[in-house]
Formats: sequence, structure tokens, C-alpha cells
Amino acid sequence: MLELKNVSKAFGDNQVLQDASLTVRDGETTVILGPSGSGKSTLLRFMNLLEFPETGSLSINDDAVTFGGRLTDAQIRSVRKHSAMVFQGYNLFPNQTVVDNVSLPPVLNGKLSKAQARERAQEVLDRVGMGDRLDEYPDNLSGGQQQRVAIARALAVDPDYLLFDEPTSALDPELAADVTRVMVDLASEGRSLVVVTHNIEFARQVAKRVIFLADGSVGFDGTPEEFFASDSERIQRYLSTYGTA
Amino acid sequence: MTELFSLWAESLPQLLLATLTVTIPLSALAFVLALIVAVIATAMRMGRVKPLQWLSRFYVWLFRGTPILVQLFIIFYGLPAIGITLSAWVSAIIAFTLNTGAYAAETLRASVQSIPRGQIEAAKTLNYTGWQTLRHVIAPQALRIALPPLGNDLIDLVKGTSLVMVITLADVFQVGRQIAATTFQPLALYMEVALIYLIIFTVLSWIQGRAEKVSNRYVRSTNA
Ligand SMILES: Nc1ncnc2c1ncn2[C@@H]1O[C@H](COP(=O)(O)OP(=O)(O)OP(=O)(O)O)[C@@H](O)[C@H]1O
Ligand SMILES: [Mg+2]
Repeated sequence: MLELKNVSKAFGDNQVLQDASLTVRDGETTVILGPSGSGKSTLLRFMNLLEFPETGSLSINDDAVTFGGRLTDAQIRSVRKHSAMVFQGYNLFPNQTVVDNVSLPPVLNGKLSKAQARERAQEVLDRVGMGDRLDEYPDNLSGGQQQRVAIARALAVDPDYLLFDEPTSALDPELAADVTRVMVDLASEGRSLVVVTHNIEFARQVAKRVIFLADGSVGFDGTPEEFFASDSERIQRYLSTYGTA
Repeated sequence: MTELFSLWAESLPQLLLATLTVTIPLSALAFVLALIVAVIATAMRMGRVKPLQWLSRFYVWLFRGTPILVQLFIIFYGLPAIGITLSAWVSAIIAFTLNTGAYAAETLRASVQSIPRGQIEAAKTLNYTGWQTLRHVIAPQALRIALPPLGNDLIDLVKGTSLVMVITLADVFQVGRQIAATTFQPLALYMEVALIYLIIFTVLSWIQGRAEKVSNRYVRSTNA
């Protein structure tokens, strides 16, 4: 279980999140929706400690941190190891081939030997349909291919939670579909996914759970059915803006 | 014409000797040391300890902000006044190391800072340690970016060593000057000296080109 409790964050005098709390359950796909600037990315980044709230706490499985004071590297890394982020801009290492991008992280984490990691890389790259591009450099791949390699890289370190921050919004629809297919596949396998997206259809069809952010806090937390049937004026307004896009 | 050729042929061994015993070893040694200094200065500058950041900035400011000629004079002629007497060789090594080190430190800092934030975040999400991030993500990418300007720093250094005659070292230029003075053939001699610099430059440019090609292997077409 992943739990963020009473987290707040301001950038200057822009109070982005105020006392927000949420729980992510294992084995299901949680989708975070909300208008642009509502703090979705910020909230997701808290889970991987790429951003730090000013107050509150985060606990993932057996590890927990309380925000506000100074955290040691060891504390940060012990919480961070439970999740891995897939970024909107892929962020593959351009100086490494596809197979190195995917096989090096578990080796550096001390989880697998080089030979095991190589095998695992082949396995996860096959999963995302990139198993035949091992020796390519990322620059020579399309955006959709890069994103699928990025998913494989996240899978390679075997995180408890896979975090996605608008993984397809930089992609043409056709390429986005390839990436979405991989995500649907992972979801149906019972992986724990947390997905920030503007793709309402994904929320409708794949999510077990929808969290809606508005005005600095969690405005809705429930099933997609409940969400799309909601008569909340805020949600209606959101759906009429993003639902047709 | 034959007179000119025989002048060149006669002076060449002396000029080459000065090149091989002063110009090249001084440049090579100072450049290697400068790279070490630059890495240390960059680490200090990018680290978290404020006084070390200031020290690094001060160093770069001081050595980029003053002419190398003045630095040579201070070290060789100035320091004895406070009891520090260094040989011409040691003075030259120190001056060129610190001078080139300051430029190279700027180059390295700019290269590291030009690496997109997303690269560091990717390393974080994969739970890399600081050292692993430096070793596998930052250093290889920064080096690729730094290679062309560092090559230029080296070329500037080689040409800059022609100033060491002012502190009594007999480099290729100084030897050329002496021969020019005794043979009354300045044009011929200085052209010969220039040619030697051009040959060194050409070799270095070629090496630079090769190194860039290797380090750019993962960059898509445009300038690979
Ligand atoms: N590093 C930062 N410095 C300053 N302001 C920031 C920073 N990161 C985010 N913000 C601000 O915080 C607010 C929330 O940003 P966030 O990226 O979390 O929103 P979002 O819901 O993901 O939006 P989008 O749908 O556009 O991606 C925005 O107003 C943004 O400008
Ligand atoms: Mg966002």
C-alpha cells in the first residue's frame, strides 16, 4: 500500500496542494485526473520523492518518511526503491544503447548480476515489443518506441508501483496507442499503476480507481463509474473541457 | 632560393629540439594537470559546500580575468619578493596549468549544466546513488559536450606557450628569435616557426575530430 498523508506544497505564493491525502491500493490501476496546473504531476512526483512536500508523510509498504525536516540519502533511497517513474519526455539515457538503458539499473541497484540483468532486459523489452532493437541508441527510435523502452527500463528494476506522468501526451495518436496497449497489458496483469493523464478514455476503460484533483486537494476518490456519473459541478466542468479532447 | 633552403635546413634541428624539449612537454604536462584542476574546481563549484563554491569561483575569476603574461611575471619575478623562488620551468607549469584549468573548469561547468534535468530525474527514479549518476549519466554526456571546447583550450595553450621566453625558457619561438637575430633573416625564421606551430595544430585538430566522432556516435545524424 502507498499512502500520502496531509501533504502540502507551495511554489512561491502558489499553494499547489493543501493537506492532500490519498491511498493507492495494490494490484490495481489508479488514474489521477484534474485540470492543468492542479498539481497532478507534483503529487505523483511526491510518491517517487522527485519532489518533496513541506509537510505530511509518505509510506510505501514497510518504509515511511515524514516531511518537513532533512531526509538522509538512505531514507530517500529506501522509499524511492518501491516505485519507478515513466516520464512524459521518456528521459532515456542517450549515451547508452536500448539494452544498456534497461539492464544497467538492476545491476547498479545490486539486484541482479550482469548476465541475469541482460536476460531480464530481453524479457521486458520483448514485453513492450522492443526486443529486436537491443543495440539501437535511443536517438534512432521514434517517440513511441522510446517510451516503450522507458517502460521496460522501469519494469527492469521491478518496482512495486509504476508511476506514469502523461506518458502519451507527447506522442502522435498512432504511437500513443502502442504505449497505451502496453499499459493496458500491465494493468490486466495486476501490476500496481498510478497514471496521471488527460486521456479520459483510459480512465474510463482501464482505471479501477479515479482520483480527481481540484483546488489544491483531492476532490474525488472513487470508481470510474461513480466519477463519470458524478453531478459535481467541478467534475462536470472538467469533463466538458477534457472529455471531448 | 638555395640560400633560404639551406638556412631552413640548418635551423630546423635546433627548432625541432626546442619544440620537443619545451613547447610540447610543457603543453602536455600543463594540459593534463589543468584537466585535474578543472575537475576539482568543477566538483567544488557544483558541490554543496558554500566556501568551496566561492573558492572555485574566485579561482576562475582570477585566472580568466588576468593575462597569462602577467601571471607568468607574478609567479617567476614577483614571488621571489616574498621568498618563493621557482625555476622557470616550474613557474611555467604552474602558470599554464592554473590558466588553462580556469578555462577548462568553465567548460566543464557549462557542459554539466547543459545536461537536461530529466536525465538526473531518470537516474533518481532508478534509485542511482550520486556517484552512479555522475559516473553513468552526467560524466559521459558532459564529456561529449565538453570535448570540442576542451580541444580549443589545448590549442590555445600550445600557442600560448610561446610566451615562456619572457621567463628565460628557450621554446621553439625563442630559439627561432635567436637564430633570426644572428642570421638577419627574421622573415624566413619566423615563417619556419609558424609552420611548426601549424603542424602541431593540424595534428591536434585531427585528433580532436576523431575524438568527437567517437563521442558523438549515439547522436542522431545531423552532426555525427
Ligand atoms: N518546480 C516548480 N517551480 C515553480 N512552480 C512549479 C514547479 N512545479 C510545478 N509548479 C507549479 O505548480 C502547479 C502545479 O503543477 P503540476 O505540474 O503539478 O500540475 P499538473 O496538474 O501536472 O498540470 P499539467 O496537467 O499541465 O501537467 C502549476 O501552477 C505549476 O506552474
Ligand atoms: Mg503534469
